Amino acid sequence: MVGPTVSLSGLRRADGSASYKCPVTGYDVLGAVNAPVELPARKDALRPEDATIEVFVKPGNTTAGVGEGYVESVLRSVLGSIVLGREKGFPRRGVVITLAIIGGEAVERGDSYLTILPALLHASLLALISAAVPLSMTFATTLLAVTPSGQIVQDPPVEDVANAVSLHVLAFSSKGHLLLNESQGRFDFETWESVREQAASICQGANPRGSDGDTAMDDESKDGTLDNFIREAMEDHLHRVYSWKIESN
Amino acid sequence: MATPTASAVPAAPPSLSLPPSQFARLQPHAYLLAHLSPPPASNQPSIRANGRAPAQFRVTSANSGSLTHTNGSAVVRVGDTTAVCGVRAEILHTDDIASWSVSQASSGNTHKRRRLGDLGGKPTEESDDTYADAQDDEDRAHIQDLNLLVPNLSLSTGCAPGFTPGAPPSSLAQSLSHQILSLLHTSRLVRADDLRIWYQPPNLGREDLERHNEDEAMDVDAGPGAAGLSKPREIKAFWVLYIDVMIISLAGNPFDAAWASVLAALRDTKLPKAWWDIDNETILCSDDVSQARKLSLRGFPIASSFCVFDADAAAAYRAVVIPKADEPKRRGFKQTWILADPDGYEEGLSQERACLVVDKESNGQGKTVIVKMEKHGGWIIDTEDLRQLVSMSAQRWDEMKQILEQC
Amino acid sequence: MNDRRRVNGPPGGTRPPVFQSGLQSSNPSDRPRRQRQPAELRKIFLKTGLIPSASGSAYLEFEPSASLAANRSNPKSMIPPSSALKLTCTVHGPKPLPRSAAYSPNLVLTTHVKYAPFAARRRKGHVRDSSERDLGVHLETALRGAIIAERWPKSGLDITITILEAEDDRWWGEPPDSHDASWGIMNVLAGCITAASAAIADARIDCLDLVAGGVAAITEDVGASHSGSGRLMLDTDPAEHASILSACVVAYMPARDEITELWLKGDSSKAVLDDGDSRQGHDALIDGAVDAARGSYSVLSEAVKESILNAVAHA
Repeated sequence: MVGPTVSLSGLRRADGSASYKCPVTGYDVLGAVNAPVELPARKDALRPEDATIEVFVKPGNTTAGVGEGYVESVLRSVLGSIVLGREKGFPRRGVVITLAIIGGEAVERGDSYLTILPALLHASLLALISAAVPLSMTFATTLLAVTPSGQIVQDPPVEDVANAVSLHVLAFSSKGHLLLNESQGRFDFETWESVREQAASICQGANPRGSDGDTAMDDESKDGTLDNFIREAMEDHLHRVYSWKIESN
Repeated sequence: MATPTASAVPAAPPSLSLPPSQFARLQPHAYLLAHLSPPPASNQPSIRANGRAPAQFRVTSANSGSLTHTNGSAVVRVGDTTAVCGVRAEILHTDDIASWSVSQASSGNTHKRRRLGDLGGKPTEESDDTYADAQDDEDRAHIQDLNLLVPNLSLSTGCAPGFTPGAPPSSLAQSLSHQILSLLHTSRLVRADDLRIWYQPPNLGREDLERHNEDEAMDVDAGPGAAGLSKPREIKAFWVLYIDVMIISLAGNPFDAAWASVLAALRDTKLPKAWWDIDNETILCSDDVSQARKLSLRGFPIASSFCVFDADAAAAYRAVVIPKADEPKRRGFKQTWILADPDGYEEGLSQERACLVVDKESNGQGKTVIVKMEKHGGWIIDTEDLRQLVSMSAQRWDEMKQILEQC
Repeated sequence: MNDRRRVNGPPGGTRPPVFQSGLQSSNPSDRPRRQRQPAELRKIFLKTGLIPSASGSAYLEFEPSASLAANRSNPKSMIPPSSALKLTCTVHGPKPLPRSAAYSPNLVLTTHVKYAPFAARRRKGHVRDSSERDLGVHLETALRGAIIAERWPKSGLDITITILEAEDDRWWGEPPDSHDASWGIMNVLAGCITAASAAIADARIDCLDLVAGGVAAITEDVGASHSGSGRLMLDTDPAEHASILSACVVAYMPARDEITELWLKGDSSKAVLDDGDSRQGHDALIDGAVDAARGSYSVLSEAVKESILNAVAHA
């Protein structure tokens, strides 16, 4: 199994950008972040002590619709909890995140948006990092499906999604908090608990890793947790950005 | 507002104290916190600013069937939030579906299986809570692919300041419409079978002989194999349900009220008896109420929403900025409250939301099934809280079922 | 074309159900009959303050006609014989005008009338159509004459009406072309005026007087010996009358005996009134509509009194 591919700061005119491609589901998301920016049109919505976060999701083949309206509100709420909007320069300003879905199965009317949610979340997180927006923590997120036979499948392909009894998207912060849970289908709490356990091990590893966690990435994806994957992407990015400084040492 | 202050002046010396209503507006966070954490000496219970206990839902009432021009309608009031839902049924002819003949051919085998089961009347499995896979797939295919359920929620009714009437749906309205549609699909509340309008080509009976010949001429493209003694039934049309929710008054938590109104309106919905009329080549309906039938819904999903109130809005913020914040200790003394069914005031003071939709199997006797569970906007709610919320939602289910069944 | 901000139905469109009984020529005796006296009004239910987030609000409902009530209590037909107006009205403001607005020394009134998609026999669209805009303009004229607008300079007042159930324009059994005008809209306007006046009073906006709406119509008896003989009817339900010659709606302030809005439709010039009434058609119509408005005023003043008593009790 191949891990997702990412590249940061691909767009020249945005303050930060990231593209995230998941090889299993085929979703390819390009995210751009502009922050901090003035939002003159939203004067009454601006809070005096905090930044205002705006998220726009553009589907690949059409303009945004009701489904995008919903996923935007979820993203706004999740990212709003980790962006440090009270840092200097951010209050009364806006953090504008634009996410374009440029590859993968289109989400049809009334379809579940959960399948693409992890890709959108990862792309926006990496774009925020690329734009150097202060964050309190990073997170990793995954999609799990429970099949009729009770198996829990990670990143299910399209036909498994259609047959799944329930779908779950969970996001865990780098400090182990449950940041997001979106579950739909029919399930009981015990099922959800085992889903949560598995999602936690996918995102963070079964038991908290020590310093050796970073090396596991080149092995099978099972060994490299998503948390490590985000961490590596950040490290690569920092290496590139600070290469002048590292080289001069 | 001015009267109590004026009367209070002679009793107490002029001070910096404010009447509660002004304190509530100027310092909403401190106001709610003061209610939730009364001084230990006072021996008062922790209650919310609106007088409810943290786990208490607002008084709910429902009324159905009062709108004349709908197939089913309901008004649900949850506290000061009011949702009106009207269901209108219109007909979608299969001739109007561009891909109908193609999709029929491709999914031919499942249809055959379905028809066999159908000949003996309504499949018996439907009375149980067990779902046959084949039927499930087809339900999903028909309802979802043909857009047979069309829910729309409107907030442009003057329900609260800030929603301009006449403007396109706000992002909140869009998000709620999507959530209702998505929940209708995932809970599979409406059975596709209730929405199908079948046509049974007549058998070669004596009195039907003449008409049948005429029939044959018209049904040439149905294929020569179809001309037998008992021709298979075919779908001629579908009912499309336009489910419109008007939020008449908004005071927090629109989703619970909107979903309850949708459920109550669908329970109230009656579809007239409809058939394919060979002479007019169209679908005709009977206006006889005794022939009309109600929808047989699957289950009884009830939504309950919650929000999290944090004692110090910046405390959590500080906790994460300082990496070694000791979280268990922070949660040791109570600093966060999970508030059920938040009103508009409380929603403005919280970031983290949770929404659960639960159902109970076998009419409330069986175990609790979660249909939807979401939480976002913070990091306070985790497994133990969710377990508690599930049981609170299950209690709410009993309450709501009673209210909606009586309306 | 496809509205992406709403959930759309099937792309090919859908058709409203066609009832078999509607195809056969309908029996005129099935038409609902007016059970009231010509000068008898339908009961009005009017309540203020049901929407706490607004500065003022009102809910108005007309009593269902006898035929509708019968079909409701003992349902026989899926086709409702007539319908009864139900609407909500909210008032937001006075509030500061947006920065972009020009200076105004007076209160700027904005009225907005929208039918719910399920309000009428035909499904209404989500975007306001011309008749809804028309209603908004008429309502604004009716209210502007009553509000003392100079007391709120640089402020705006938004009045929003949502119609949950509208009046019929004609009996459903009639062929669609049998009536030239849409008479139901006049009853809707009268209801809008009364409800908006209650909501404005509930919002404590200074007015000269309460404005009440009233409708009167000259109807023609189907079996009349000579054509042109009309009868003056107050508060007509269009479904109950085979032929309406002319109708009139007024917005009326009883304390000042002033009319702030007058809308006359149809041809009343040739109408000869029965029972020795020598008035001109339009005079009789306006008098009748004012009488009807007086009737709704009594309900309106009770509702406003209740609103004030509530406010006093809470203060």
